[in-house]
Amino acid sequence: MEAGLDWAAVLIAALLYLSALFAIAHWADRREAAGRSVIASPTVFALSLGVYCTTWTFYGSVGRAATLGIGFLPVYLGPTLLMLLSPLLLRKILRIAKAQRITSIADFLASRYGHSPVLGGLVALTATVGVTPYIALQLKAVAVSFDALTGGGLEKSAEPFLDQGFLIATVMALFAIVFGTRQIDAAEHHPGMVAAIALESLVKLIAFLAVGVFVVWGLHGGLDSLFAMAATRPDLARLLGSEAALGDATAGGGPWGAWVATTILSAAAMLCLPRQFQVLVIESTDERHLDRAIWLFPLYLLLINLFVLPVTLSGLLTFGGRLDPDLFMVALPLNGGAGWLALLAFLGGLSAAAGMIVVETVALSTMLCNDLVMPILLRTRPRALARSADLAPLLLAVRRIAIVAILLFGYGYFRLAGSAYALVSIGLISFAAVAQFAPALIGGLYWRGATRRGAIGGVAAGALVWAYTLLLPSFARSGWLPASFIADGPWGIAALRPYALFGLEGWDSLAHSLFWSALANIGAYAGLSLFNRQGASERAQAAAFVDVFQSAPDAAPRGDGSPDWRNAASVGDLTRVVARFLGPQRAERAFTGTDPDEPAGPERLRLAERLLAGAIGGASARVALASSVLAGAVEAAELLRMLDETSDVIAHSRELERKTAELERATDALRAANERLTELDRLKDDFLSTVTHELRTPLTSIRALSEILHDDPELAPDQRQEFLAVIIKESERLTRLINQVLDMAKIEAGALDWRIGTIDPGRALTEAVAATEALFRERGIALSVEMPELLPPVQGDVDRVIQVVVNLLSNAAKFTPPGGRTRLVARLEDGGLRVAVIDSGPGVPAKDREFVFDRFRQSGDALTGKPAGTGLGLAIAKRIVEHLGGRIGVEDAPAGPCAESGTGAAFWFTLPLAMSGFADDAGEPPVTDRKID
Amino acid sequence: MSAPEPTPGHEAGSGRYRDRMIGLFLLAAALFNPPLLGLFGVKGTVLGVPALYGWVFGIWAAVIALAAVAGRTR
Repeated sequence: MEAGLDWAAVLIAALLYLSALFAIAHWADRREAAGRSVIASPTVFALSLGVYCTTWTFYGSVGRAATLGIGFLPVYLGPTLLMLLSPLLLRKILRIAKAQRITSIADFLASRYGHSPVLGGLVALTATVGVTPYIALQLKAVAVSFDALTGGGLEKSAEPFLDQGFLIATVMALFAIVFGTRQIDAAEHHPGMVAAIALESLVKLIAFLAVGVFVVWGLHGGLDSLFAMAATRPDLARLLGSEAALGDATAGGGPWGAWVATTILSAAAMLCLPRQFQVLVIESTDERHLDRAIWLFPLYLLLINLFVLPVTLSGLLTFGGRLDPDLFMVALPLNGGAGWLALLAFLGGLSAAAGMIVVETVALSTMLCNDLVMPILLRTRPRALARSADLAPLLLAVRRIAIVAILLFGYGYFRLAGSAYALVSIGLISFAAVAQFAPALIGGLYWRGATRRGAIGGVAAGALVWAYTLLLPSFARSGWLPASFIADGPWGIAALRPYALFGLEGWDSLAHSLFWSALANIGAYAGLSLFNRQGASERAQAAAFVDVFQSAPDAAPRGDGSPDWRNAASVGDLTRVVARFLGPQRAERAFTGTDPDEPAGPERLRLAERLLAGAIGGASARVALASSVLAGAVEAAELLRMLDETSDVIAHSRELERKTAELERATDALRAANERLTELDRLKDDFLSTVTHELRTPLTSIRALSEILHDDPELAPDQRQEFLAVIIKESERLTRLINQVLDMAKIEAGALDWRIGTIDPGRALTEAVAATEALFRERGIALSVEMPELLPPVQGDVDRVIQVVVNLLSNAAKFTPPGGRTRLVARLEDGGLRVAVIDSGPGVPAKDREFVFDRFRQSGDALTGKPAGTGLGLAIAKRIVEHLGGRIGVEDAPAGPCAESGTGAAFWFTLPLAMSGFADDAGEPPVTDRKID
Repeated sequence: MSAPEPTPGHEAGSGRYRDRMIGLFLLAAALFNPPLLGLFGVKGTVLGVPALYGWVFGIWAAVIALAAVAGRTR
């Protein structure tokens, strides 16, 4: 092997390259700010997915191919398979992530299962433990390839912090901090970072292809001669067949199991690795980009793997067993006299490492900040946080510290583990760790009944089994635990051997772990979900996730907004909370132009929650809102839901306070109900006396007149005729009254016959007018009808509709002074028919409006005198209209010809049109079947 | 309570595309797995490339091409 390149030159080249990445990222950020995004392109999106290919691909594939032949491929076939499912799976995840402003996979799972901070924290921890060693592997790969390239020119430093690993870790931390934590709203994108990793993906692909072409055609004169040469060596010929990768086809398990297990794990990792979730879901600007990524990304994987086997064979032919196969990518060009190509290969490997480290640390730091640190801070020090006016610097600091801590942890692992087995095998072990999120993730998309406890139980059980069957044995193989742990099991219990749990022998360790962890994970997930009840917020979130395509894109995250939330918070409160986490400008922009004292209302509350969720994750957002806005008046059930997730004593006492408050409120409600009942009782008495009075008046006159007729047969015919007419009129009035009372009783009892069908509203209105015309004429009121020539058919019962209009018209006739006017106006509005009866009477005072449709109620009181009628007409109209699926109400008469005397009242009602009128639509307006009120 | 309605951009044609991709996924999952791969673990080369190696990359490329075509012709 030739002497390596000058280490100083390599170092400068590496630093220049990394500076170029900084420049690209900076440029992309500037372009984004100027509104000309470079990352809003499906190709850039597909390339950024290439962050999947780390140094474990760039250098490690060759190493794996040296023992497994094509056995390195399942790691790339898995993601290919997953991408094929993207129209089904990924599109749904993207849509949900956008609607819910998801910031990480931990946040996704926590949000799905009722904003559970416990689940979010668990996922964040598992991901950190599983993935940080993987970062160490990247540092090691860069360090080792640097040594290979320079021939170990840079003295191996025994001092920590003075080696290439530390240098690269420092530069990467800087990059992640500058481009990954510039702003706090993580739901927004990191255009600079994405542009840089897309470029890195391109560089590593070009580097790999260049080395491949050089090796195959430059060193061996073509593929056929290379393969022919390899076929003559039995140890290499083995790699060309299926045996190395698949084992003996007749034996189950063995390498067969490894192939299948690796395919499944890498498909799961493609989705669940924090960095993959970051680029695939969080950074995605447009879900249509998936349509290109679906084939472009697999193509990328194919190309980067095309020359793995040739490079492996060439390396083995050239170096035999003298060199670690992981280094062939750099060593082969160097040995072939192409120093520049070796440098390019090194830069390719550096790209792979840099991309992985940056995205992974940014994703992990977001997760740790939003799902572990902030929930804890919000619960343990709510007061200290409440004092601070602007929490954005704190959030950024937490994330930056997390980035530095993760990289320090990774670097420490790299120094400690060195070339131990635990580091070398960490790639697939990491995959297996994050694969534990897959059941809860995918199940949560399609299974509405999956519960929070199920998800927590599944992830926890899976992670424990993973740690026992993969992580601990890897420690044992590195010599940190006694070797007997693997061979004989802990304390010599053979059934607990981590590679042969409960006697399941002869399996590949990865397949073995996958089997047991999947069994524990899915078992606990399904079992606990089936035997657990969902809370209200869980149910709402489950529906929001499972039915994401059925609801509007920005549909309410939760349908259970309690009225107390609305009343308790003002716009000023919301602005303050949002400002504390996102900075005053953002808050100003969100709530601009509203009075700070105005009640927040559900819409703005939801907006604030979404803004906060984008910054600190869904679970923290709820707690933050609840603790700062709703200090005094949160609904007990809502708070219980939030608080049952902690065992914290403070929270417990707060819960008691809330319960007390709730009890007081319940007492108040009872008192109010009691008062209402008393009032109703009084009204009933009033009604009875009214009805009695109303019945007696016509009866009295009928009786008096008929007595006169009876006693005085000599009465003049004119007089007689007049008296008889009065008697007939009074009898009619009596009949009408009794009919109304009966109708009301029937409606209340639900015994009325309805003949609902498609009716012509014009005819109904005309008939109603004809029936009441006499009344108006008699009282000297002008009645005018304004309706279009043609009204579309509506859904209703023609007799009842006539009854409603007659009731409204007679009501108007009663209240309009003689000489006044009444208008009947019908028009189409909001896809329904709206009929209004507008009079020029005294109008209905605002305080009476909610009561006028009550039974037994009449507008006016003892002071203004009692108007004629039973007070049943409007109540009957209301019940009929609501039964027919419409609404009814009263408002001030619009200014106009009718407004000359008094304000006037406009009684209106709506009816659904027949064409949109299936039962569904008719049921949509608030049909109330309340018996009282 | 809003009635389920198709989301814009996801109506006609998209369902067929999705079904095709699921079919392609099942096909690829079968082809990429040991029983079928093992059949090509024979000695011998195609155009100088070992049979298994050529086969894996061949079907991989074919699957990618089908995915691209399915997306284009929906």
